Order: sequence, then C-alpha cells, then structure tokens
Amino acid sequence: MTRPPAPSSSGHEAPAPAPLTNDPILRSTSRAVFALVLLFAFLLLWRGHNAPGGGFIAGLMTTCALVLHRIAYGFSALRLDPARLIPWGLALAFGTGLVPYLLGKPFLKSDYGYITTAVTGEFEWATALLFDLGVFLAVVGASLTIAYALTEVAPQETVEGDE
Amino acid sequence: MTLAVFFPFLIAALAAWLGPRLGRRTGYVAAAAFLPALLLIPELLRMPGAVPALEVTRWVPTLDLNLAFRGDGFSLLFAALIGVIGTLASLYSVAYLSERERFGRFYSYLLCFGGSMLGLVLTDNLVALFGFWEMTSVTSFLLIGLWHTRSAARDGAVKAFLVSALGGLALLAAVALIALGGGSTSLSGLDVGALRESAYFTPALLLTLLAAFTKSAQLPFHLWLPTAMEAPTPVSAFLHSATMVKAGVVLVAKFGLIFGGAALWSGIIVPVGLATLVWGAWLALRQTDLKALLAYSTVSQLGLLMSLYGLADAEGRFAATAHLLNHAAFKAALFFVVGIIDHETGTREIPLLGGLRRALPVTFAAALLAAMSMAGLPPLGGFISKELFYEAMLHQGPLFLAVAVAGSALTFAYSFRLLRVFLGTPRAPAGAEPHEAPPGLTLPAAGLALTALVFGVLPGTAEALTRTAQSALNFGDYDGYLSLWHGVTPALLATLLTWALGAVLVWQARGMRALGRRLTPRVNANTVYYGLTQTVNVFSSWLIARTQGLPLPDQLRIMLAAAALMAGYAVWRAPQVFYPIGTLPLGVLPVAALLIAGAVGVLLSRGRLTAVIVTGLTGFGSAAAFLAFRAPDLALTQLLVEAVTVILFLLAFRYLPGVRDLPRTRGRYVFDVAIAGLAGVGITLLVLSSVRFLAPPISPYYLEYSYKGGGGKNVVNVLLVDFRGFDTLGEITVVGMVALAVLSLVRLGKPGRPRRTPDDTADLPARRRP
Repeated sequence: MTRPPAPSSSGHEAPAPAPLTNDPILRSTSRAVFALVLLFAFLLLWRGHNAPGGGFIAGLMTTCALVLHRIAYGFSALRLDPARLIPWGLALAFGTGLVPYLLGKPFLKSDYGYITTAVTGEFEWATALLFDLGVFLAVVGASLTIAYALTEVAPQETVEGDE
Repeated sequence: MTLAVFFPFLIAALAAWLGPRLGRRTGYVAAAAFLPALLLIPELLRMPGAVPALEVTRWVPTLDLNLAFRGDGFSLLFAALIGVIGTLASLYSVAYLSERERFGRFYSYLLCFGGSMLGLVLTDNLVALFGFWEMTSVTSFLLIGLWHTRSAARDGAVKAFLVSALGGLALLAAVALIALGGGSTSLSGLDVGALRESAYFTPALLLTLLAAFTKSAQLPFHLWLPTAMEAPTPVSAFLHSATMVKAGVVLVAKFGLIFGGAALWSGIIVPVGLATLVWGAWLALRQTDLKALLAYSTVSQLGLLMSLYGLADAEGRFAATAHLLNHAAFKAALFFVVGIIDHETGTREIPLLGGLRRALPVTFAAALLAAMSMAGLPPLGGFISKELFYEAMLHQGPLFLAVAVAGSALTFAYSFRLLRVFLGTPRAPAGAEPHEAPPGLTLPAAGLALTALVFGVLPGTAEALTRTAQSALNFGDYDGYLSLWHGVTPALLATLLTWALGAVLVWQARGMRALGRRLTPRVNANTVYYGLTQTVNVFSSWLIARTQGLPLPDQLRIMLAAAALMAGYAVWRAPQVFYPIGTLPLGVLPVAALLIAGAVGVLLSRGRLTAVIVTGLTGFGSAAAFLAFRAPDLALTQLLVEAVTVILFLLAFRYLPGVRDLPRTRGRYVFDVAIAGLAGVGITLLVLSSVRFLAPPISPYYLEYSYKGGGGKNVVNVLLVDFRGFDTLGEITVVGMVALAVLSLVRLGKPGRPRRTPDDTADLPARRRP
C-alpha cells in the first residue's frame, strides 16, 4: 500500500492518523468487500422506490463500506470532508421539493413516468429518486462525520468520576 | 414586486459564489440586485391616483398563508428608498472595503438583508410580515457581527439580535391576535371594526408597540443601535437611513391605521418618541466618535418619526413621511461622509480631527448640506419637515412643543459638532495625509446631499414624493403643503428659538461637556442589559452544573423516572381502552424471547464488550420481529442501523473506561429496580392504549395511492419521499445537525484549522494611502 494518505476527514492538516489495524487479511478482503457493499448500496438506492431499499438504508450501507475502508487502510476513500455532503444532500432534497412548487403543484409532489430503451426495456423514472439521493448524501455525510470524528478522539480524554 | 423581493436573495447566492472570485467588484453585481426594486419607481410616481397592485403567490392556502405583496404608495415609496440607498451602499462598498475583506459573505448578507427589508415593507400578509421582520433581525445580526473576530462586533451583534428578537416574539403574538380578531391574515383585508370590538385589541396594540420600539431603538431599547455601528460603514448607512431601524417606523405607520383610533396608541408612542428624541440627541452631543454621534442621532430622529406617526392623524403622517425622505437622504449622506473621513485619516475621533475642508472640499460640501438638513436649517429639506413637526406638536400642546424644541436644539448642536472636524486648523493623526477620496466614495455622499438640497429648494419634489403615500396612509384630505416660507407662524418662532438655544449650546460646548459628565446616570439601559445577560449566564451555568454534571446512572434515573411519570399520566388521562390483541402469531414468540434475553443479558453482563454484544441481540431481535410482521424495509433499516451503531460504538469503545461494579447499597438497588420497572410498565401501557387493533387500518389508502399518486410499489419509500416528504426533509436536517454537533463536541478545545486572519483592524478598512 503506497497510496498517499489523504487529508484527514475533518479537513485540518493533522498528521495522517495511523491505520486502526495493520491486518493484511483485512486489507485484501476489504478491497473486494468495499466494492461489493457499495454496489449493493447503490442497488438499494436505485430500487428503493419499488422494493425494499431507499436513500436512508443505502446511505447507512455506504457509510459501513467507507468506515471499513478507513479501518483497513487508515485513510478515507472519500476525498472530501464528509460534512460537506450534508448541505449538498439537503439542498438536493429541498430543490427537488421546490421544483413542483414553482410549477404550481404542492411542495415535494413527486412525478414519475416510464421510458423504454432498447437496452433496459421499459423502466420507470421518478423524481423521488432525486429526493432519495439527497437523503442518501445527507445520511452518508452525517454518519461519516460522526464516525470520523470519533476516530480522532484523543485517548487520554476520560470521563470525570470514572476510572 | 415579488421579483423585487426575491431577486436580492437570488443575487445573494450568486454573490456568495462570486465574492472570492471577483473580490470587491462583487459590489457591482450586488448593486444590480436592487434593480427590480428601482423599477418600482415608475409605479410609485403614478401613485396617489393608481390602484395598488396586489401580487399573490400561494404558499399554504389552508392556513391563509400567502406571499402577498401589495404595492400601495407608502410601501412603494419605502421600497424605492431601500432600492436607492441599497444600490448606493453596494457601490460605495466597492471603493470602501479593503482587499482582504470576505466579499462573498459581506455582499450576500447585505443582499439578504435588503431583500428581507423589501419583503417587510411590501408584504400584505401578516405572517409573512413577521417572517421578514425576523429575517431582518437575523441578517442584521450577521452584518453587525461581520468582523466577528472583534469582541465589540460580537457584543453588538448579540445585543442587536436579543433586543430585536424580543420584539419579534412580541410581533408574532401581535400578528396572531390581529389575525384572530380581524378574521384575516391579509393586512388590507382585515376587518378593523371587528378587531376593535374584540378583546384582542389592547394586547395586540401593546405587543405591536413593543415590537416597533425594540426595532426602532426607542427608549429604553435604544441600547442596541449605537453598538450596531460595529458593522462596516456602508452597512451602517443602509441600516440607519433606509432599513432596519425604520422597520419599527413602518410598523407604526401601517398599523396606525388599525390602532390609531385608540387613545392608548398615541398616548404611548408620542411621549416615548419625544423622550427618545431628546435623550438620543443629548447622548449624541456627548460622543467623540463620529459614527457613534450619528448612531445616537439616528435614535433621536427615529423618536421624532415615531412621535409623528404615533399621532395617527393626517397632519402627523404627512409630516412624518416628508421627514422620512429627508432623514434617509441626509443620514445616509452623513454616514458616507464619516466613512470617507475614516478612510482618509484613519480615525473617527472628533478631537483628533480638524480643518478637513481644505483636504476634502467635495466631502465638506456634502457634509455641510447634509448636516444643515439634519440641523433643520433653510434652505434644506430638514428645515421644512422640522417646521411640519413643530406645527404638529403645537396642536398637541405647549409642553409637547417645548420638548420638541429642546430636542431640535440639541440636534442643532450635535450637527454643528459633526461639522467641526472640517473647521479650524488642519489636524489629523500622524501619518495620515488626507486628500479627496475616490469618486466611488464621494459620489454617493454628494448625490444624497444634493437630494437633501433639492428637497429644500424645490419643495415640490419632496411634496410629490410624500403625496404618493397619501392614499395608503390616509392623509389625502390634509391640505398642508411643503414650502420654505409659510409666513410668520408659531412654528417659525419656535424655530428661531431653537436656533438661539442651539447657538448657546454650541457656544457653551465646554460647559455642556462638563454637565454631561456629571449627569451620567449610574443605571442606564446598557447596565441593565449586561446585568440581565450576566444573571442568565450565571443561572444557566448553575443549572447545567447541577443537572448535566451528574454521573450517568443518576441522569438515567432522572430520565427513566420522567418517562414513567409521563407515560403513566398519559395512560391515566387518556380513555383507558385496551383492545384485545387478538391471536398472537406463534412465530413471533421466539423473537420475543430473544429480545427479552438480550435485555436481561445486558443487566447481567460484567464486561462492556459483553454488554455491547448482548445489546445487539435486542437490535437484531427487533429486525427479526419486523421481518416476522412482513416489514422487510423496516427490518433492513434496523439491521443497518444496528451495524452502524456497532461501528460507532466500537470507535468510542477504545476510549471508554471499563465497567466497574457500582457501589450500590441494597436500598439503592431496590430503588433502581422500581424505577426501571415503572418506566417499563408505563411505556408498555402507553403503547397498548394507543394501539387500536379494531379501528379501520389506514394502510389500504396508502397501498392504493402510493402507486397511483407516487408511482412506486414500495409503500414505505413512497411514504417517505412523497406523502411525508416534508417530514423526511426535516429529519435529514436533524441528522445533519446532530453530525455537526458531534463534530464540534469532539473538536472542542482542539486548535482549529489555520485560516487567513481576517481584517482585525477596527473599522479602518483599506487605508490605501498612496
């Protein structure tokens, strides 16, 4: 592993945190698992409208994948501060809601339709997917922010009154 | 009009993005944001005759909540004023601000502020009025605290916000009462007669007054305005002349049509306004900082406007509207002038300055015109409106007139004091070589000063502008007119007396200062304010120390006891109907056993890791229960939440101390078991009493419409993104906020990321001396 350590999650240029574990087995498995979990997370996001899934679950799953990656390699696979995803997610969700309102329909009214292409056959599109994407981004941003922040807690901090 | 209100917000977003890229030139873009507001001027000029336009955008029709904008004469007049001064302030900032300023932030705050102010004056909906009112509070907080590295700026911002937010709450209550009593949330559609009859009338009146007084810095709420001068000077010019502080005046003017009939209304406003006029002018006279002088002068002038609008008769409204125009012109001009002096000499202290007229001739001319208008000298606009003011006060009685004269004499004296920096021998701080400022700075000031002159020399212009508001403010039948010479009237005699008194004050300036020092009251609005905030701080620290510092077991005891109490109370109060649960599906029993085993296991575990694992049992057990009840979506969510919780816990686990045996006596033990048991029983009863197994289920509706309306087969998801999308939006906002809170807690006490040090020199931007 000679990849340069990315700037730490929270953005300030502290020395790159040491990997939480140096386990080679974890590293090699996590590479495959990371891709698989991400793929599954996107599948969940995509099919959420018609089958169990959705932005929230997909976001949590993506977080799991990213945390696994961070634990195995010691740096974040995400090349930006996850806290930045939160406003973007909120903006996307709010924006999807605003469009129907500006068109004279109720706020957040979703629209859907069907497209038939040669490759995929008939498939459904829905503006709800964009909203879900906003939820996804916000959830990934929030949970990753918490997770990364916790990895940076200095061990000497203890709770008063405890031993 | 809708565009005029929302265009600044749009450009504000653009300016935030352009700021770091264009630098100070963003100001040109910002000036363009007020273009739609300026385009209302032709509409305004047609005004006394034309029918007010009404633009309604429906927002929540069921709550009678619309974005309604009504362009009557007064609203349009004010909108045009905001547009003109806003444009000038934006242009002035281009030349004024230093290169190192954060332009994106500055201009977007400024534009959001301008937009909220435009919304405030143009809106016809009471709820929207409140919304815009609060937005001006928030944006002015941001503007005043722009240089937030300085403690004075932070203090000023917090003070301004606390005071005007207090008024905002009062306004919210007043708006609610007015809407209830008047039967409508539309300002023009109110049933004023019904409101007068209703019991809400007097409370609504008092609350409205509180709101107006806090916003317009009337006694004793004037404390925030002088500290608000911590904002950059262009902002102060905007804030003090056309916007923020005038919001209260707008409120009194508009709501005067509703409340004006009540004796209480003018009975409170006029004395308070006059007292503010005199006290503000007195304080202004004592300042050595030019900007502070102007700030107190604004307080004083607002008192004048308040007392005139508070009369709630045609004469008062006419005079007030005329003075509103004059005040906007000369006050903005003077702020711009002070900005120039500050920019050229690096100081605003009157004792350090003198004889600037040679170095800054154009600025001097502008300052002279504006200050003369402020002092009420002919042939300037201020003279005419002051005559009207005397005229109106004369009709109230000699006492009112005497106070008015006293206030105006003080005004005369401080106007002269302001001009003193231009007179006498040239004097400036070492190193400063004042010379005429670039046209970007002088032109706005000179333009406004000329306007003040035009209002005086050609009173017809000011008259025409004032008359545009006549149908909106109900002074169409007032036959007064603006003129420099009304003949020898009592008002003129009062003016002569004012000048004489003013001259004495100027002549005896040294004596007055000595008197001022002796008259300083020990308790003033500021000491009260700091006393209050200090008390709140001490109390909250005490409360936190007493409740949040407890060991975790004690906090848990409090929370569980509260849960037991509340759940028990709810069950006791609610109709205690427990429906039969029906047959229990046998398949759920093992899951239930698993859940209970997990809960008991946690209690018995001696190590933290064991406890975590056993807690996981309950989580995964719940997921299994969801599956058993055929809710795969929930089960999936529960599983993933469990997984993420485990990850987060493991991350925190490294730093947690080991579980130790709590030193528990037998009595404590019994007590804890009792609390836990009660909480459990209470919650279970609550759940059981709220479940209606026999009521018709609502799921068929969703099952049908989720596909028809939302186009999705997964009902849960359609529910989340469509039917209750607004909830979801709120929830992800909460999630984001929680994340940020955790982040800041974890970062607490750690050195922040090194950043560009912001401009930490006081209000002395861009000392660009060649």
